[in-house]
Parts: sequence; structure tokens; C-alpha cells
Amino acid sequence: MKTLLLRRWKQRFGAWSVISGIGAVLALLPSLYILAGLLGKPGENWAHITEYMLLDYALESLLLTGGTVVLASLAGIVLAWLTVAYDYPLRRFFSFVFLLPLAIPPYIAAYTYSSMLSYTGSVQTWLREMGVAVNQNYFDVMSMKGAIIIFSLFLFPYVYLMVRSFLEKHSASFVESARLLGRNPLSVFFRVALPLSTGAVVGGASLVAFEVLNDYGVSKHFGLQTFTAAIFKTWFGMYDIDSALRLAASLMALIIGIFVIERLLRRRKRYHIPANRSVPLTRRKLKGPVAWLAVIFSSFIALLSFFLPVVQLLIWAWWTFEDVWNEKFVGMLSNTLLVSCFTVVITMFFAVVASNVNRQWRSPLSLTVGRLLSMGYSIPGAVLSIGVLAVFLSVDKRLAGVYAALGLGHNKLVLSMSLVMVVFAYSIRFLAVGYNAMDSGFDRIGNKYSEASRTMGNGMTATFFKVDLPLVKGAVLAGGIMVFLEVVKELPLTLLLRPFNFDTLATKAYQYASDEQIHQAALPSLLIIALGIGSVCLYHWLGRRKS
Amino acid sequence: MRNKIVAGVLTFLSAAVIVTGCGGTNGGTKGENNSGTNGASPSASAEATAKPEKSGVVNVFTARHYDIDFAMFDQFEKETGITVNEIKGTAEELVERMKREGESSEADLFITVDGGVLNYAKESGVLQPIESETLFSNVPEKFRDKDNNWVALASRARVIVYAKDRVKPEQLSTYEALAEPQWKGKVVARSSTNMYNQSLIASFIELNGEAKTEEWAKGIVANFARDPEGGDRDQAKALAAGIADVAIMNTYYVGQMLHSKDAEEVKVAENIGVFFPNQETTGTHLNISGIGLAAHAKNKENALKLAEYMTSKEGQEMLTNGSFEFPVNPAAELPQLLKEWGQFKTQDIQYAQLGVNNKAATELLNRSGWK
Repeated sequence: MKTLLLRRWKQRFGAWSVISGIGAVLALLPSLYILAGLLGKPGENWAHITEYMLLDYALESLLLTGGTVVLASLAGIVLAWLTVAYDYPLRRFFSFVFLLPLAIPPYIAAYTYSSMLSYTGSVQTWLREMGVAVNQNYFDVMSMKGAIIIFSLFLFPYVYLMVRSFLEKHSASFVESARLLGRNPLSVFFRVALPLSTGAVVGGASLVAFEVLNDYGVSKHFGLQTFTAAIFKTWFGMYDIDSALRLAASLMALIIGIFVIERLLRRRKRYHIPANRSVPLTRRKLKGPVAWLAVIFSSFIALLSFFLPVVQLLIWAWWTFEDVWNEKFVGMLSNTLLVSCFTVVITMFFAVVASNVNRQWRSPLSLTVGRLLSMGYSIPGAVLSIGVLAVFLSVDKRLAGVYAALGLGHNKLVLSMSLVMVVFAYSIRFLAVGYNAMDSGFDRIGNKYSEASRTMGNGMTATFFKVDLPLVKGAVLAGGIMVFLEVVKELPLTLLLRPFNFDTLATKAYQYASDEQIHQAALPSLLIIALGIGSVCLYHWLGRRKS
Repeated sequence: MRNKIVAGVLTFLSAAVIVTGCGGTNGGTKGENNSGTNGASPSASAEATAKPEKSGVVNVFTARHYDIDFAMFDQFEKETGITVNEIKGTAEELVERMKREGESSEADLFITVDGGVLNYAKESGVLQPIESETLFSNVPEKFRDKDNNWVALASRARVIVYAKDRVKPEQLSTYEALAEPQWKGKVVARSSTNMYNQSLIASFIELNGEAKTEEWAKGIVANFARDPEGGDRDQAKALAAGIADVAIMNTYYVGQMLHSKDAEEVKVAENIGVFFPNQETTGTHLNISGIGLAAHAKNKENALKLAEYMTSKEGQEMLTNGSFEFPVNPAAELPQLLKEWGQFKTQDIQYAQLGVNNKAATELLNRSGWK
């Protein structure tokens, strides 16, 4: 009986689940290290933390995250619907431009906007020259409201992207029927498009939520008392890293809770819609004032979320180019590309395997493993880096004998002084991004094709390459590009875990921004943005060619 | 479709080749220094990127991310042939990393801002006593750890700045006076997550005791013109914008703003006055940047050489002209702007106390509602 089960298990999954398991274990080690903090006894500072920080900071985080999720989802859904279901002047241009904010790291955007709107910034200076007296209250961007708006402006594309690709491929028959049945446009949107795309919205919104939860750059600069700020106050202010890790662990526990809810939400609304053969939605042409309204609204968002900050950065880069530019930038650029490409390959490999195993083997265990894989995304990078460091140092210690035998020297740190550690950390951190993309990709095609293939005697691997991969190729690419974008922008992990002399564009931008030299930070920031635009273009171009 | 996949793979591979190619040349330039030595050691090539030669490097863990620091490292490389490798990060993170790496740590020097952090590094056991007569003659005793685990590199004052058009310097006296009701709605400062504020409070705890300091912090919070936000420069801008009349900020930011590429920032800096408080009483709060010798330094001699270089008269002049901090070496000449500010009385406390009191300061700030 037991052997039979084992054989069946082997037949079905074999290498796939083994790889998935290895990935899960590797990815979980640092998180487990942090979660273990919950088991120990709270330190002497814990009482102070719970009394003065925990609740207030958690609530402020909740407000920030909730506000951003609502606003970003709203913008994402409306813009996706507008560009998919209607035709208006410059529509193609806008549908591409709405992806571009992804290229701008939110903390750079925050610094740019706060500086731009400050008393000495270009906006107020211009207004003063025009003789307009300005009330400073209107320009207080460094506040909760400001943070929500900035996060939403630069994170809404996550929702937009997922909803758009869903609506483009799968909504046509429903929407056309509703239109034929004489539903007015608003009712088509609210009664058909919106409920259909719940899954895509939740997927995009959860990425937005994680980005906000683990942010430290924006909240620190704006003086917001978020949960992450509490973690760092405990660590840097009280020098109590154990309590800081305990706080981070509580955050992780909370995130696991959110995972479960998200899963429940998605499960209730499951539409199996055939992926191929779906007819594209015919766009309705907008005319007259409505068309102009659409153009104005789209331009407004495009200006705020991309063109204005980029133009401002260009001006600053022009001012400081001579001071900042040197030949080291070539090295930073290649470093950035190097780690990004490695990470993309590793992350997408594990994301594909894990999500494929997960969908074939729908059990609570595999589901949990799948979700746990994404945990790295939820905690602040600096905290995760401590977990990663702990793991690598212990591996290095264990391998000390091997290093000595290889003639590398006694008591040497090899792995933890190499790029391996950084790439490993990135992969853990951004597995969630790749996994989310793959999960919804597989979700969309359902299991019937692969099951048919399996019935015809193809193994899991053969089925994957012959049947699944062609169907989810888009998801793999989309996931890969998302991961690339994230790594290019990533900061806290790189900062602590990189080897000697390893500078990326993000660390350079941070070096200036953290010292309030925002003008000097413009040049490296623009290079990050350029790389981001490049990958967004690639993504867009691939999408167009396919259709 | 297959073509597309092939094309994708090819694109990726060519990108990878370009990238690794660049990486290779980078490593090459770093390793060139010792290419003259005959390659007797087989492992030398493998380690070329990190350490060209045992005696030819110094590994720096630094939390100071100023361009001028890196320019100094370059200059040091040129003059001595010793390669400076750096890992950057937040001070507390770097200390944590060194602690966890233990004996295997590659760190030789630890450089950071803030006396409190320097003390934290010492307490964490990642530093060791320095023995260098040159360093001791460069840096006066008051700027050194009592066990010489670290020496200061530069100092900065945390002062009161005021809007010249609305406040006369005669109205200002002490930090303590800022908590008085006459300044209600007229004070701005940055958030309490910032270590400059934590150290400022830590120094007050040392001088005035915890109860008085807490009362003061509550008074300041009551006088805030707005919730703390932004960095030190943003406080100066708030004065120019008329949001507040007085602010607490570090001196070197005024210097940097005066030399900003942004004409508007220069204007702001010109319209604010720098006031060194507590001249009649406890003195102005001074904080330091410092260098510590790593407990398990493998290149101790080079580490000391670099520290000596950075605290030498020339090094200090280069540094302070770039960062507008005050030099710690009395032989160094001050930049023009700092000369204009003149001599001032500073707090008479051990910098280590900033670290000892930091936890109490953070808790106190939390209790007083300083965001």
C-alpha cells in the first residue's frame, strides 16, 4: 500500500515536487529564522514597545496600506477598463505609458515630489514668480495623504497590468453579451467587468500592499510612524535587534493571515475561461466631450505618475552631471544587470516549478508551501537580510573545512562574501512576484489541457514543455520582467549583503538621497528608470507581437 | 513561436556575455596592482578581485556615504598603492554583520556617523584598541574613546537656525528656551527616528537628567508648527516658507545648501541664521563621525595608515572642505564658512554617553509624542 502510494506520487510529481520542496526549504530558512524569534522570551524593551509603539504604528501602517490599496486599485481598474473597452485619441500611447511608473522606485518618487513641491521646489518658485501667494498647507506632500497618493501613483500599474491583461483576453464574450442585451456602459463595468476581474485585482493589489508594508524609505522621509519604522526604531534606537526581529515576525504572522484571506477571496470567485480562442473585445469609440474627458484624465495620470517627476529628475541631473558622473557608472550599470539577470532566471525557475506542482496537487500543504514561498516579499528587506546573513554564515562555518582543503585559507567567509548571497536574497524576496504571475497564469488556463495530455501518457515534464509552457509563456515573461524591475530598484538587501565594492545604481541613488542630496541622486535614479523603461518596452512589445 | 523563444534566449545570453565581460574587466583593473609579482601562489588569481595582495588592501565597512569619503579613499590608493575595498550600509546593520561574522570577518576599519553608534560598536565587541602615536597626536583626547577603540574623524554641531527676517538672534539663548510658550507653533524639527535627534536628547539626559529632558521634549512637541517630516534641509525650507520661525538642524547642511546647484536653496540658506545655543550654560551639542579598528582586522597596519591619513592635516582639510563638518585635528585649517561662524562652546560630555543614553532617549521621545 505504502509503496503503491509512493509510486503513484513519484509518477505524478517526481522531480517537480522535489525541486519545489528544495526551493521552499531554501526560501523558508531565513524567514523561519526570523519567525523563531516569536518562540523566545520577549526582551526587557518589549513592554515599552507594546505600550508606546505596537498599536499606534500598526494602525498607521494599516491606514497607509489600506488607503494605497484602495486608491491604486481604483486607478488601476478604471484605466484598464478605459484602455481595453474604449477607443479614444492616443489610447495606444496611454495604454503603454501607464506601465512606466513601475520603472520609478517609490522612494525616489517621494524624494522627487517632496523636493519639487517644497518651498524651494520648481512648482512653488514658479508660482511665486507669477506673483501667486501660496498656502503651504496645500503643498504638504510629506504627510499620510501625500504618501498614499505617491504610493498609489507609482504602484497602480500592478493592478492596471493584471486587470488589463485579464480583460483583454477573457472578458470579451461576457462584455459583448451584456452590451447586446442593452446594458448601459456603467452597468457593464460594474455588473460584468468588475466582478469578473476580482481575481486579477486582488493579485495586483496584494503586490501593492506588500510594497507598502515593507517600505522604509518613504515613511522615514515623511516621518510616518509605520510598522516598519517601529522595527527600525527598536533596532537603531534601542539597539535591540531581538525585539526588532520579534516585531518583524509579528508582521510576517499577520501577512500569512492576509494570504489566507486572499486565497479564500480568490477561491470563491473562480471563473474557468478558456485561454486560447478567446476573441478580443471590440473597442467602442468614444466621441465628443466624453473622448476629451478620457484624454484629459489619462494625460493627468500620465503626467503625475511619470512625465513630471522624470522631467524634474532630468533637470537636476543636468545641474549635477559634472559632479556626479564618472566612469564607475559603467560598472554600476553592469552590476545591476548582472544580479538582475541571475535573479530573474533563478526566481522564475522556482516560481514555475512551485506553481505547477501546486496547481496539480491542490492540497492544503502545497497551498501553504506556495504561499510561504512568497513570504520574503512581505517583510522589510533589512530584516530579511539579517535572516539571510544568519543562514549564509552558518553555511560558511560548516564549509570551513572544505575551504581550507581548497587552499582558500583558514576561517574564511566565501559564500557570504560573494554575489551568491545577494542573488539568493533577491530570489527569496521576489519569488512572490514570479509566483503570483505564474499562479494566475496557470489559474487562467485551468487544468484540462494538461490533464488531457497526462491521460495520453505524457509525463509531467513532457506535458509542461509541450502543453503548458506555450500557454503560460506570456506569464513567464511577464513575471520575469516584473522580477527584473524589482531587482533593479531594490535597495536594503543590496546595501547590507553585497560583496566588497559592489555598487548598483540603486545604492548610488540611495547614497545621495539619504544624505538629502536629491539633485545628485537624479542621475543614478534616471539610469534605474531607463533600465525599467527598457524592460517595460520589451514586455509591451512582446505582448503586442503575440496579439 | 520557437523562433521567438530562441531569439529570447539569444538576447539573454548576449546580455549575459556583455555583463560578465564588463565584470571581468572590472576585476582586471582592480587586480592590476599586483600583476608585477610573479604568480607563485595558485590561489592568487581566484582572489584577485577582493584582495590583490595581502599587504595591499584595507577593507572598510562604512556607514558614511559621502562622496568626499570615497574621493579620499581614491586619493589614499594613489598615494600609497593600498587598495581600499568598501562595504556600505547602515551603521547598526554593519555592526550586526561584523558581530555575526566573528573571527572570520574581513572588516578592518569601521567608519560611521554618531558617537552613540561608535559606542554601540564598541559594546558589541566588534572593535579593538588602537595603538598609533600618529593618530593620537592627530586627534585630541576628547575626540577619542577612553579605551581608544575609536577616534573621531570630524564633528558637527546641532544648532538652532532662525528666519532672519522674523527672529533676532538676541531672542535666542538655549535649546531649553525653545520649549517655552513664546515659541508655540513656531518650532520645527525632523522625526524622532533620526539618530541626530536621538543623540541630541541623549546628551540632554546626560546633562539635565531624564525628568527635565522629558519635560523639555514635551514642550518642544507642544511648540511644533507641524508634525516632524523630511530631513534637516526641509526644516530650513520650512523657515523660508514661513511655516515656522526656528528649527533644529546640523551645521553642515547649511554649508551644503549655500553651495547647492539650486539657486532657490542658496536663497533659503542665505535667509536663515545659524545660532550656537547654550553658550552661557552647557554648550552647543556636538556630535562626531569616527573610525574604529575592527576586532578581527586582518590588515591592521593598512587600516591604521588609512585612519592616520584621514585624520592628518591634509586629510582633514580635504574632508571638511567637501562635507562642511568641523575638523577634529586642531592643525587643520577651517573652510571659510566655518571660520565665519567663529569659536563656540561645546557640550562637555563623553561621546560614548550618547550611546549609553540612546535607548532612554528613544523611549523618552516615544513617551513625549515626538513623532
